Amino acid sequence: MEERLRHEAKTLLEQGKVDYIVGFEQGSLKFTTAPLITNDKGDSDRLVINPFIANNLSVYLTEIEGRVGIVAKGCDSHSIVSLIQDNKLTRENVVILGVPCPGIIDLSKVEKLVGKDRDELDDITREGSQVVVTVEGKKKDFPIAEVLFDNCLGCELPTPQEYDVLLGEPVPAAVDETASKAKIEELKKMPHEQRWDFWREEFSRCIRCYACRNVCPACFCQRCFVEESEPQWILPAPRWQENLMFQVIRNIHVAGRCTDCGECERACPVNIPLRSMTKEMYNLVDELFNFKSGMDKDAAPLMTAYECEEAEDFIR
Amino acid sequence: MADNRKINKKDIGKLLSEWSKEYAVFVPSREGGVAKMAKWDGADTSFMNWYRNTVVPAKSIFLPPVEEMFGFQKGKEGYNIELPQSDERKQLIFGIRPCDAKALAMLDMTFKDSYQDPYYLSKRNNTVLVGVSCTNPYDSCFCTSLGSSPGESTDVDLMLTDIGDEFFIEVVSDKGKELITTAGGVEEATETDEAKAKQVKETAYNKVTRKLDTESIKERLMPAFENQDYWEKTAAKCISCGICTFLCPTCYCFEINDELVKGEGVRFRNWDSCAFPVYTKMPMENPRLEKWRRVRQKVYHKYQFYPMNFSVIACTGCGRCIRQCPVNWDITQALNSLPARL
Amino acid sequence: MTITDISHRKKFLAQDNVYLPHIVVIEKIIEETPTVRTFHFNFKDEKLKKEFTFESGQFSELSVFGIGEATFCISSSPTRSDHLECAVNRVGKVTNALHRLGVGAEIGFRGPYGNSFPLDLLSGKNLIFIAGGIGLAPLRSLIWNVIDNRDKYKNIDIIYGARSPTDMCFNYDMEAWEKNKTVNMVTTVDKGDESWAGREGFVPQVLEQVAPSASDAVAVVCGPPIMIRFTFPVLEKLGFTPEQMITTLEKRMQCGVGKCGRCNIGNLYVCRDGPVFNYAQIKNFISSEY
Repeated sequence: MEERLRHEAKTLLEQGKVDYIVGFEQGSLKFTTAPLITNDKGDSDRLVINPFIANNLSVYLTEIEGRVGIVAKGCDSHSIVSLIQDNKLTRENVVILGVPCPGIIDLSKVEKLVGKDRDELDDITREGSQVVVTVEGKKKDFPIAEVLFDNCLGCELPTPQEYDVLLGEPVPAAVDETASKAKIEELKKMPHEQRWDFWREEFSRCIRCYACRNVCPACFCQRCFVEESEPQWILPAPRWQENLMFQVIRNIHVAGRCTDCGECERACPVNIPLRSMTKEMYNLVDELFNFKSGMDKDAAPLMTAYECEEAEDFIR
Repeated sequence: MADNRKINKKDIGKLLSEWSKEYAVFVPSREGGVAKMAKWDGADTSFMNWYRNTVVPAKSIFLPPVEEMFGFQKGKEGYNIELPQSDERKQLIFGIRPCDAKALAMLDMTFKDSYQDPYYLSKRNNTVLVGVSCTNPYDSCFCTSLGSSPGESTDVDLMLTDIGDEFFIEVVSDKGKELITTAGGVEEATETDEAKAKQVKETAYNKVTRKLDTESIKERLMPAFENQDYWEKTAAKCISCGICTFLCPTCYCFEINDELVKGEGVRFRNWDSCAFPVYTKMPMENPRLEKWRRVRQKVYHKYQFYPMNFSVIACTGCGRCIRQCPVNWDITQALNSLPARL
Repeated sequence: MTITDISHRKKFLAQDNVYLPHIVVIEKIIEETPTVRTFHFNFKDEKLKKEFTFESGQFSELSVFGIGEATFCISSSPTRSDHLECAVNRVGKVTNALHRLGVGAEIGFRGPYGNSFPLDLLSGKNLIFIAGGIGLAPLRSLIWNVIDNRDKYKNIDIIYGARSPTDMCFNYDMEAWEKNKTVNMVTTVDKGDESWAGREGFVPQVLEQVAPSASDAVAVVCGPPIMIRFTFPVLEKLGFTPEQMITTLEKRMQCGVGKCGRCNIGNLYVCRDGPVFNYAQIKNFISSEY
């Protein structure tokens, strides 16, 4: 897939079909990749595809001016469709280089299983349904389900549905929904007071770095509500009350547009389980409105489209 | 070197308990899986087996993420202003790494310069630093390129080095001497102990693989200031969050806000970041609206402007910015690939 | 590059804490334009009222308790200091809150911060004051300071422009300066209205027309960034050296004491090393950072 990607990217730039290519390149740390945004066809040899391409690159689409050729995994392509639904992009201005994705490896899960940090590992490779970790010369293997990101475990559409070029063979869906929703189910079983305590503790670690908001492709507001001072919706102080309100409001703002890519949770430097909120929001939206974000680029955006026949029974 | 001591690792718990009588003791702790300096619970010493650095740096104790500056209330005669009750208790930070300690020394320069910042300085003057040298640097560490090292002891009061079953203790300052002279479980160190400690430090030094050529960077920095192409390319993947600046031990930018609840309230300060677009926003314009200007500002503030004012690079090579960045933006890459001077 | 010595500026710290404000009481409010008000205020503390001094060019941090703090230059002159004056343009949270206050209200005051106009450099020279819009506020302090010591200075030219006649501030000052025979006053608007009988044109253009001589002269400029950026090249064309061009800059400031980090231009902090700079100091960064 990598070679095909490099060739496609180079051709797109050479033929002037796109102004920029957005993909992944080898990162500066072990087992890490970094986004590569370039208009230079000579850079196309730096593009990579491997089990560590975690980022959702569609977050850059709302800031790059011009036509973009973008590398998109299954989840990423849903974000792109969601952006098209929101009228932030036109389909013609994006060339989607689809990557059928068998799941991305979560390094923190590997670290926990092996008991060593990522820079102390020699190698991590995927071999079918196993992941082989080499530490100090010795190999250990783990079932793949133990090291993939939570949202990859329940991924329904790992092969992009919307694409211009599909860089590899379609990948079957991993339908282990249970593992993906494990944390949420656990929370639902808790009595209210315990759940409140849980979130209060989690959000007391929040430092309001806004990484969750900035990695999110759905958060493209020029001026976020936290940056408003008239009126001041919430104070910028990183206290658990404000932090919790920030995240709850953010979730409501992205409802119907969040595609459960899991980037918010991955980006959080203090390990707040944000996906427990966003995934639950995603499921709620599906339950209430029969709408899954990012599936149909011609559909109207859920929260901003109004039909006269809509339900009004909740209005008292 | 009669000042050098050692202590068996088994006795650290007792030592900390002894110190706890006089000091509020902070140790590296894990909260929700995130390592930071927190009040010692009085029992758990497992942090001794954990040889790496915290996610949130020790600066959070001196410059907390949110801090009350004063309270105010409207009485019949007008406004009354009240300073918060200060915790007079002395503090002791155990397990601070050389990079974070050096960063504190650097922050001191800003908070002492011209006007003294009472909140930061009162905490700083009240705190003793007991450092523990690194034995296993991350691949993101680059302290050795910035005048520090995994075993650098200049900025702490006591420096402990792991020499097997024991910690070798260097007495660095008078505060440290006071601390250790009456401490229980502490013996005099031998020359073999000293040699072992030196060896440990050297091994750790050689493990630091990430390098910066600061001399070459110094020459290439100012000529590259106006190079918009370079900075646009370098800044392209940054997402303008605050992770690098908040977790950086030398970053100190803050904003001041008020909170009002029913006629009384507080003025507080909280962490702010030059990476945020609204950081320099004025009513009519924003000089750093474009992302590349903000990324450039962060690099230059640390490697050019701070040295111009205080003769020291405002970076200690702790590598947190590289490790925690969601898009792997790497300051060493950005600096090392500065265009060569024409 | 040495750090600016500010030991002389620390005389008025409340409780030795640089962030603690003094309480001041609003004594008078003047509506300059639909969005600009000048506040006259005085310290609540009698001792401070008598002892407080400052120099032209310095600024203060005014706060509305519970809303926030913002930076305002002191627009009154130290030669007329039975009270203090600040001009406030209503643009955001704090300024809106200030505009909602009336006479007798209590606000917080921190200052004086920043450096001041170098009076010794201006002494014995021809002075050209160039201001735009509310930029006249800091210059006003200096102009009255200079006029009150008139014999220390030679020619005085004042060029003031605003977007429109209704945007002109300090009309009462301009009347006084026009009447003053020792001062040459030129006013302009970007666009006039039916009542306007004077010049039309942007300040840099008018400056070029007036063409003051650079010999033995110092130009002091203040206004919106875009005006400053276009005025400097005109002054250069007229033969002014960078050291002969002085300006006072405004950047978003918060702490006012060089700690919070946001007002830097290069390695200079506008609150600590400025806000008064000469062009030579900021030349390298003016296009990029201001």
